[in-house]
Amino acid sequence: MRGSARLTALLWLALLAGAGLIIHHSLRISGDLRLFMPTPRDAVGRLLLQEVSEGPAAKLLLLSIQGAAPEALAATSQKLAAALRADPAFGFVSNGEQRLDMVPDALLPYRYLLSPTLDTNHLDASYLREQLQEREQDLASPAGTLLTPLLPRDPTLELLKVLESWEPAHQAQQLFDVWFNPAGNAALLIVQTRGAGFDPAGQQLAIATLRRRFDAVRGTSAMQLTVTGPGAFAVIMQGRSEADARVAAVCDSVGMVLLMLLAYRSPRRVFLGALPLATAGVCGLGAVAALFSTVHGITIAFGFTLTGVALDYPIYLFSNEQPGVRPLVVARTVWPTLATAVAAVCIAYLAFLFSGVLGLAQLATFNIAGLAAAGLCARYLLPRLLPVGTRDHGTGLLPSALVNVVGRLPPMPWLAPAIAVIGLGVVIGLRTPWWDNDLGHLTPVPEPLLRQYETLQQDLGSPDVRYLLALRAPTPDALLTREEALSKQLDGLIGRHVIGGYDLASRYLPSAAVQRRRQAALPDAATLKADLAKAASGMAFRADLFGPFLADVARARTLPPLTVQTVAGTPLALTVGALLQERDGGWTGLVTFTDVRQPRALAALATGSAGAIELLDLKQAAEDLVANQRQRILGSMAVAFVLLVVVVAVTCRSLRRMVRVVTPMALSALTTLAILHAAGVALNLFHLIALVLAAGLGLDYGLFLERAGREPAAHRRAVHAVTICATAACVVFAVLGSSTLPVLRSIGITVVLGVASNFVLAQLLIRRQSP
Amino acid sequence: MSSVRRMAPILAAGAAGALAVVASAADPPDIGVLLQHLARAAPATTPFVEVHFSPLLSRPLIVSGELTYSGPDALGRTVDKPYSEHTEIKGDQVSVVRGNGKPRTFSLQRAPELKTLLSSFTALLGGNREQLEQDFTLSVSGDDAHWGLGLTPRDKRISERVTRITVTGEGGSPRCMTTDAPDGSVTVMLMEAAAQSDLPRDIDRAALAKVCR
Repeated sequence: MRGSARLTALLWLALLAGAGLIIHHSLRISGDLRLFMPTPRDAVGRLLLQEVSEGPAAKLLLLSIQGAAPEALAATSQKLAAALRADPAFGFVSNGEQRLDMVPDALLPYRYLLSPTLDTNHLDASYLREQLQEREQDLASPAGTLLTPLLPRDPTLELLKVLESWEPAHQAQQLFDVWFNPAGNAALLIVQTRGAGFDPAGQQLAIATLRRRFDAVRGTSAMQLTVTGPGAFAVIMQGRSEADARVAAVCDSVGMVLLMLLAYRSPRRVFLGALPLATAGVCGLGAVAALFSTVHGITIAFGFTLTGVALDYPIYLFSNEQPGVRPLVVARTVWPTLATAVAAVCIAYLAFLFSGVLGLAQLATFNIAGLAAAGLCARYLLPRLLPVGTRDHGTGLLPSALVNVVGRLPPMPWLAPAIAVIGLGVVIGLRTPWWDNDLGHLTPVPEPLLRQYETLQQDLGSPDVRYLLALRAPTPDALLTREEALSKQLDGLIGRHVIGGYDLASRYLPSAAVQRRRQAALPDAATLKADLAKAASGMAFRADLFGPFLADVARARTLPPLTVQTVAGTPLALTVGALLQERDGGWTGLVTFTDVRQPRALAALATGSAGAIELLDLKQAAEDLVANQRQRILGSMAVAFVLLVVVVAVTCRSLRRMVRVVTPMALSALTTLAILHAAGVALNLFHLIALVLAAGLGLDYGLFLERAGREPAAHRRAVHAVTICATAACVVFAVLGSSTLPVLRSIGITVVLGVASNFVLAQLLIRRQSP
Repeated sequence: MSSVRRMAPILAAGAAGALAVVASAADPPDIGVLLQHLARAAPATTPFVEVHFSPLLSRPLIVSGELTYSGPDALGRTVDKPYSEHTEIKGDQVSVVRGNGKPRTFSLQRAPELKTLLSSFTALLGGNREQLEQDFTLSVSGDDAHWGLGLTPRDKRISERVTRITVTGEGGSPRCMTTDAPDGSVTVMLMEAAAQSDLPRDIDRAALAKVCR
């Protein structure tokens, strides 16, 4: 019997390990944050989520190099930028250097089509003479040598005019030709990775490459590189959650083993107690892997956390052992209660399947499969592995003392109403903000890292991220034409100090019509040659100097206009691509702003356009998304609660008993909310998940105690079970509560509060009824 | 007649130079003494003529005007012929006004090597040998009567803009400052007495070297 039990246990473990391995190989873990966000219902929401997770901004890493004199930092910045530009892992690299190769050689003749010069001037003898005179004076100035390489090809300095017009309205200060922070002690760079922002594996690779390149160019100096941005966050978070999870796993395991040893004084029960938990984890993960194509990393973490409820099942079984009673008999006796607990939680989780938040649906699947498996494991597997009980845990010191203390207290019929009133009073009365509507807080990134990122963003003069204008058109060229018309209005707004500046695609890429108009204004080869000769007569320039210029103009006359397609692969494509995107069968153009002083005037512009232009308030949209998501979660929680109550009422076959079971749990949720609210904590998704978990545990306590009925010995065994369950939960979640990650911390604290409250209230409210 | 007048100082200088070479072949001028000759008490104003040679040009560009030195890191350069342009440098700020146009200002922070060049120029005028030797290797040639002071940049960033600066002078006063750039252009600034010389429109470098001697 002992031998066969051991064999069964080993076989089961081998089965779990095998299943775990298979799942591990077939599981596709995604870091896409959208899994935990609600499905957006409007265009703004879709745009927002796209920008958040796969937009160009999500691929940007902001770098700062510190720890040396500015000149050395600048030299390192230039070397690093050159190394990264040659690396295929990075799309575009910018450190503020004015690089003439921004416009590659093939695009150089396009400068006359891109520059506004020809809108107001002609390349005739008088304009050329004026320009050449300027150039003579430039050459005779102290900075004359800078022009030597440019002049033969570009005597009107058109390229410089184009680059100047492309310069952002606000940008970081420049020292030694590269971007620096305002204090002048850190060189700044912007790097775009090819991999998606929230793909931690890809980002980790990119950042490792980045650091390797930096170490190579840094040499022996003591300079340090700071990398920040969505991708860097993804990597940091993964590293930190892994480290925290390892520490938590070790602490939890040690704590559990000690607790179980203390409670049951049997190493075998310690081992057996872990079996349902392991079964729950493997089954839950397997179900999610089978039903969903990709699983969010957070789903897995939270899934394992929430299956902690499964620990209650073996504890309940062990605590109900009695000397000489065969484990199978014990299991059969406790099964109705256990089955109710499992069924109630599983059915309640059904509500989350339909929350419209993919991550929550995965979480629900994980828990339904996991908890059902754990319950069955406790009922059918454990009794076959357990030896016949030798002691009645209800007679132990702890349960006896607890029962005594609680028994001596006078009946407190006022307790439940009093807690309800006080809790509601705090929840309704205190005017602290209720909900945390910041979408950013759903990224589990610690505040200081976010602040560092925001500071760098400001130093680099990144545009205001709150307001955007969106235009739509069937083709990119129609869109560019509209943007050109809009530019005139926006220039007016700058004049009226409504906005500080703006950026849109047509600033870089004029519409085909405008390009053709400028092209038509270019003189033919013979005319230009004659006019140039006339202009240069009597001047000091070498006679044949401007051959390259004549050739470029001749080519510019026959070029097909530059389009979104033809700029592909040039540095221009990245700038234009960020502002002009193909979406839902049409083209959307974005206008970004710096320094929006009167949002209302922008709104008026959008309203006045009769729907052609839309003002996007990304902050508002993000808050709407979060609020919308919360509504769905709250709705799911309400449905879950109703389902739970119905299951309990049906299995108890009594309304009164159902109320006894559910009251401590409901009051505990209220108490936890009231305490968090009084402490000024604004609630987010993670608090709600923690509340659900605490309620699930509380339901177990209520059921275990209520089902013990009137028999004192059974009641004491139930008290033992509940005490061990609550202590175990508190140990596990106190470890989580001490995590460095704010998300894990808030979950840990919320669950500990909920469990403690559930434990106390269940003891006080579900007392043994006198026979 | 006019050409004789033009040639006279050159001839005189040549003769004096020949004498000087004979007189002090074994006795090169002292850098400290030369720097004393160059030093000016601020504020000081001196007329200048600049001759720009460039590989892009078939003949040099010649501009003239006035330099103002008002202390460390403060310089003014006014061109009045053949056009008017005023450049004012104060600390890190540079402003340029051409004709009746709008002033254009920029910060020397963006181009620190220009800042180094500027401060070496003011170091020259201020007689600050220590600062000069920080940025340049100094060398002398000639003798006390006709001397040359060579400045070669130590820093690669500066030598990308300027390969060498040579100041030539006669006795106690400088005549020319010649700046060689890596792209082949050469700027010769004639100062003090030399700035009074009347230069032909298509003067070449050899002829100019004689003026500077």
